[in-house]
Parts: sequence; C-alpha cells; structure tokens
Amino acid sequence: MENNTQPMLEVKNIEKHFGSTSVLKDISFSLEKGKALAIIGSSGSGKTTLLRCLNFLETPTGGTIEVMGKTIFDADQMNRLSEAELRKNRLHFGMVFQSFNLFPQYTALENVMLAPKLAAKQNGGETVEEIRKRAEELLDQMGLSNRMDNYPHQLSGGQQQRVAIARALALQPDILCFDEPTSALDPELTGEVLKVIRSLADSHTTMIIVTHEMRFAHDVADQVIFMDEGIILEQGTPEEVFEHPKNERTKKFLEGYV
Amino acid sequence: MFGTVTLTLLHGLWTTFQIFILTLVFALPLGLLLGIGSASKWKPLRYLIQVFVWIIRGTPLMLQLIIIFYGPGLWLHHNIWSGNEAGRITATVVAFVINYACYFSVIFRGGIEGVPVGQREAGLVLGMTKSQIFFKITLLQMIKRVVPPMSNEIITLVKDTSLARIIAAYELTFAGYSFMKSAGLTWPLFYTGVFYLVFVGILTLLFGYIEKKLDYFR
Repeated sequence: MENNTQPMLEVKNIEKHFGSTSVLKDISFSLEKGKALAIIGSSGSGKTTLLRCLNFLETPTGGTIEVMGKTIFDADQMNRLSEAELRKNRLHFGMVFQSFNLFPQYTALENVMLAPKLAAKQNGGETVEEIRKRAEELLDQMGLSNRMDNYPHQLSGGQQQRVAIARALALQPDILCFDEPTSALDPELTGEVLKVIRSLADSHTTMIIVTHEMRFAHDVADQVIFMDEGIILEQGTPEEVFEHPKNERTKKFLEGYV
Repeated sequence: MFGTVTLTLLHGLWTTFQIFILTLVFALPLGLLLGIGSASKWKPLRYLIQVFVWIIRGTPLMLQLIIIFYGPGLWLHHNIWSGNEAGRITATVVAFVINYACYFSVIFRGGIEGVPVGQREAGLVLGMTKSQIFFKITLLQMIKRVVPPMSNEIITLVKDTSLARIIAAYELTFAGYSFMKSAGLTWPLFYTGVFYLVFVGILTLLFGYIEKKLDYFR
C-alpha cells in the first residue's frame, strides 16, 4: 500500500442544528480510497442529514470535511466560499437519491450526459462524442444498453435507480453516496440495484451507503457506522458492529432485523 | 351591408388582436418574474408581491383601465396617452399587462412549486449552476404544468379585450355594437360572436397541440 496516512475522506466534528434542534453531534470518521462505508440506524438518527451535509445540500453548522488531505469544507470559514467553489467542491461527491430524481424530460442517455455536457461547455475538455461514449458504457455497465432511449416514466423503479447511478458516476466523483437507494423499490427490484452497487464495491469505488438492508451492509461494506440520535454510537468492521456490538442500543436495533 | 359589417369587424378584430398579442408578450415574462419573486425566500419581496397581486386581482380590470387611462390626465394635467386610437390601445395594453401578469404569476408560482425539490437537488449535486438548473431542468417541467391553467387565462384574455370599449378603443365588440347604435341592426352582434368563437377555437387547437407535444414525459 502506498500512502496509508492520508484517507480519501476525513470528516471531523460535524455538527448540524435546525434551529434549536441538534440533528448531528460531533460526527467524525474517515474512509480510505476504494472502501465502502455503510451507515445504519433507525429513521431520524441523522444518517440522511449526514449524507446531505457531505453533498452540501445542507450546510453543517460545525466541523470540517477533507477530501484527499484538502479541506473542502470548514464551518468557520463558510462565508468565504464562493458559489463556484462550492460547486467545484461538491463534485468530489456523487449522490444517488432514495427517490431517483431522474429528469423526466430527458431519456436515460440524456440524463447521464446532461451534467458532463454542461461542464464541458463551460470549461472545455471532453467533446460531446466522448461524453456520449462514456455515458453509453456506464449504462451498459448498469445492464441498461437496451434502455438508453427510454424516458424515466417508461422504466421500472430499479431501472430508474440504475440510470441514476450511471448519472452520478458520469462525473467521476471521488466518493459516491447512496441515500437508501432501495427504500423506494419493490422487494423484487431491490436485488438488481444491490447487485450493481455490489459490483461497484468489487471494482473498488469509494462509497458511502445509507441503508436499511443489513445483510447487504454486512456483505459489501468494509466499514460500518451505527448512528443513533445524531451521534455515532458504534463504528468498525462489519464483524465488529454486526456480530459483536458493544453498545446495548446497537444490539437492540440489530435484533429488530433478525 | 354584409361586406361593410365584415370590413368593420375585421378592423375591430385587428385592434383586439393587437391588445391580445401585446398583453401576452409583456405579461408572460413579467408574470414569470413576479411568480419567481413570490416564491422567493426573501420575505419583504414576497410580501410586496403578494400585496400587489391582491390589489390587482381584488379590483375590476375595468376600474384599473379607467384609472390608468384617465388618471394621468387628471393628476398630472397632462394626458400621457395621446388621445388617438394608438394611445387608447397603449393604455389598454398597460392595464392588461399589469392585470394579467398578476394572474399569470400565481399560475407560474404553482408551476415552480409543483416541480419536486428533488429535481433541483439532483441538479445541484451534479454541479449545475442555478441558472442551468432553471433552464435545463425546471423550466420545461413548469411549462408542462402551467399549460392547462394558462390556456384558461389566455382564453379569458381574448374576451376581456372587449373592456377596452370603456375608453373608446375601437375593438371588436365596439365594432359590432356600432351597427346597433347607428342602424338598429342586431345580427352584427351575433356575427361578432362568431369572430370570437373562431379566435378562441384556434387558440384551443393550439393549446391542445402544445399539451400533446409535452405529453412525451411525465
């Protein structure tokens, strides 16, 4: 291993309040390149808010976020960040939403191509042909090569979510975030999405997955965080968290899934 | 006689058409701006627009037209709308633009707020700018949502142009009515109705076509 001292992602003391309600308290963790982190916990424990903070959909009220040693967010210096810088920093992360959020007026292929095309138009770089080729490869990788010209409403939930994953990957983020990617899907469609995420983990995509699929988290993640009421109650390898939980609250939560 | 009536009505129709088109050209963008403003997070702007919309929607268009046409002359002792036909049409358009922009703004706001927040968030995490999100994602979804209520308002606008008669703009209804006054003829009134029906019929077809065009996505 080359540089072990510098993790891909280093989150330090993240805090988030909505008014007087504290949603995240002193969240710190790090994630190495090529590893998958699963965040588990009951609804309202702050998992989704944490993910939204990483993508700057919410602004943390305290703490810092570093990607590859570079501070991309510091709550104390937030107002110094221009909107352009914020947008640039945001691109370290990709995001896959629970409700897919595909753009309904574009085909699967256009959904994947839109953001790279806009970026290339502004900053130069790739040609439309290159962007198209990569988008087609990504959709092919998602098993959707015969669905590229379909509009979202013509696709099943599982297919839509796979397009959304391709769309996030098209910008080549350092870290791909999943916010309960299968919670809006029928059980029979869950498998096809989990299979794709599993294959991404196998090819060493750095990922953070908020999920209620415990078996999946156990099998795929290299690292697990259990959150409860806005704090990290327990973190470690899947074996440590799932098989030998130290905290009573963790035990009780996991019992509910057996 | 039929020829004379037809020519007179066509002349009136031209005025009606000018009021209609000019009102749309200015009221649609203005309504969109007011709509965006009334969905703004900045409260003073939102309240200001809300009060303005309340006043305009809460009073008759005919009253607004009278005030706008006669007001300047009475307050400033100088009629800013030259007394000729063009001046009357201009005053009518100004009153109509203000009035219709307010109605449009409410429809636009509904359209903007009807686009799920997840669409904006998806654009944000893909590194898009606010204007890219608006033009590439939100706008078309909003247009699809506003076409049916908008077609209602725009059809109402066709018939509201007849209010311009109150300041003696020589529009379609005025033209039809003139034959009753001068020659006691009532059939030109029905003939006038046919003009409106054809006008609205064409618009109905046009809106049906637009709705169909936007039917490819949901």
